[in-house]
Amino acid sequence: MIKVANLTKRFKTVTAVEDISFNIGESEIFAFLGPNGAGKTTTIRMLSTLISPTSGQVTIDGKNPADDGDYIRSIIGLLTETPGMYEKISAYDNLDYYASFYDIPAQRRRHNIEKYLKMFDLWKRKDDPAGTYSKGMKQKLALSRALVHEPRILFLDEPTAGLDPESAHMVRQFIDSLKHENTTVFLSTHNLEEASGLSDRVCIIKKKIIRIASLAELQGSSKSKRMEIVFSDGASKFLTLLEKIKQVSSVEIRDNRAFLVVDEPHQSNPFIIRSLVEKGADILYVNEIKASLEEIYLGLIKDEETR
Amino acid sequence: MKNSLTIFKKEIKEVIRNKNIWLPVLIVTIIFSIAMPAAMILGSNAILKDPDTVNFINRMFGDVDNPMRVLMDFMIKQLIIFLLMIPAMVPSLIAPASILMEKENNTLEPLLATPLKTPELLLGKAMTAFIPAFALSTISFLMLTLVVDVASYIKLGFAPLPTPEWLIVAFVLSPILSFILTMASVIVSSRSTDIRSAQGIGAVVIFPIYLIIGLQLAGFFMLNITYLLVGCLVLLAVCPLLLRLAVRIFDRENILTNWKMK
Repeated sequence: MIKVANLTKRFKTVTAVEDISFNIGESEIFAFLGPNGAGKTTTIRMLSTLISPTSGQVTIDGKNPADDGDYIRSIIGLLTETPGMYEKISAYDNLDYYASFYDIPAQRRRHNIEKYLKMFDLWKRKDDPAGTYSKGMKQKLALSRALVHEPRILFLDEPTAGLDPESAHMVRQFIDSLKHENTTVFLSTHNLEEASGLSDRVCIIKKKIIRIASLAELQGSSKSKRMEIVFSDGASKFLTLLEKIKQVSSVEIRDNRAFLVVDEPHQSNPFIIRSLVEKGADILYVNEIKASLEEIYLGLIKDEETR
Repeated sequence: MKNSLTIFKKEIKEVIRNKNIWLPVLIVTIIFSIAMPAAMILGSNAILKDPDTVNFINRMFGDVDNPMRVLMDFMIKQLIIFLLMIPAMVPSLIAPASILMEKENNTLEPLLATPLKTPELLLGKAMTAFIPAFALSTISFLMLTLVVDVASYIKLGFAPLPTPEWLIVAFVLSPILSFILTMASVIVSSRSTDIRSAQGIGAVVIFPIYLIIGLQLAGFFMLNITYLLVGCLVLLAVCPLLLRLAVRIFDRENILTNWKMK
């Protein structure tokens, strides 16, 4: 659905995005992660035809933004990082105004406005000026605006920023449901939990792409694994033994649990467990602790900075 | 065109709700279309008794048969020029408010992500400033005519308007000036983040208007059809340049990367 090849954007002497390439399939939720100034918004602007690349190619639904910008804009929805509304006109009129620029019949437009205002619990206040809405309500209104013409591709820049936990949960559930409606979602977020919960694949960017993979691939890519060993009683008496095992790169003891970082666990774990049992350990459980997306992200960003 | 009309309709609703825009225009219209001409005509007898006024007429026009008629013609020429403040003022109040509110509210980017074409956006914004300016200035000129003719007929027995100068100012010079101010306001607004400073562009145009009136009063020249037509042609020549600049400024990438945002 989205193909990006060697995309670069320079603003005078500043390079915002350098030589990035990726493909996003139909109905995929693609999370775009990176620190502030990493080029996320610039990439969204290029993909949504708002600015042109310095070099490289973008193809959206088989079309080139330079030649078919109007078509591309008709099939995309955009939620910007700081979405604004016309403060003095009603929420309903705000949506109606934006929706009127798309080629959708008036009846369907009205139906969609009602659908999304009801979905985001704004229908009762549809006639109130948008300026009287809270930050969270404005965010939901902006999301409704991005959806009102039923786009096939949705660009979301921090969709749950400013939302209370209940509303954020509702928005996440809705984004997840878009998969079943054949909508492709490009999700730029700082909320790593949100990205790991929703996305099919994650792209970590810092001007250049650092990594693109599914969460499972990212978690499985490291040769070292975190392990938790639960003993029937205190674990501290096994600390010295564990520290001596060369495949164990770090150990931390908390009550009856030992947390280890183990190199090559498939080969090392049987040896570690056998050694502990031989020294009289009663082992209740051995668990693998999967790295969170946050840990992986921070690790990759740190590696990039030290490179 | 449909999209430009959609923009125009939405913007006009906002202009009507914004008294900071229409109140100054209303005051200027009342002063220059109604109050000043009515006072001048109704008080014309007293004006002609003033020796300075008589001296001024003699100096400007020589020995005349009907000093009242001459004085009326002269005053009408001043009033017509005063009324040019409306086509200058209205776009310079509306266009910056319309564009800078988009910047302030962060509504431009989502708007540019719709299939709306940027020339349609420019046209919609320009119509919002130009159409009210043209409508209000035409109403002001018609109101001036009504007040001058009724008051003159009652007081002096004749109706001096319309004159050829009046027709040129009302229907040629005034729309040209509105167009120039609309485009200039669009250009200035793209580089500004402050509504009041962007609205100051109107004041730049009001200065030459006062200068023309001052030069007429000082007797340096008298506005006639030739001067007006030459002025119209000069201003007309400026229009395509400003239009080209405004179109260049109203480009998606330019708006998002070069416009000064809050």
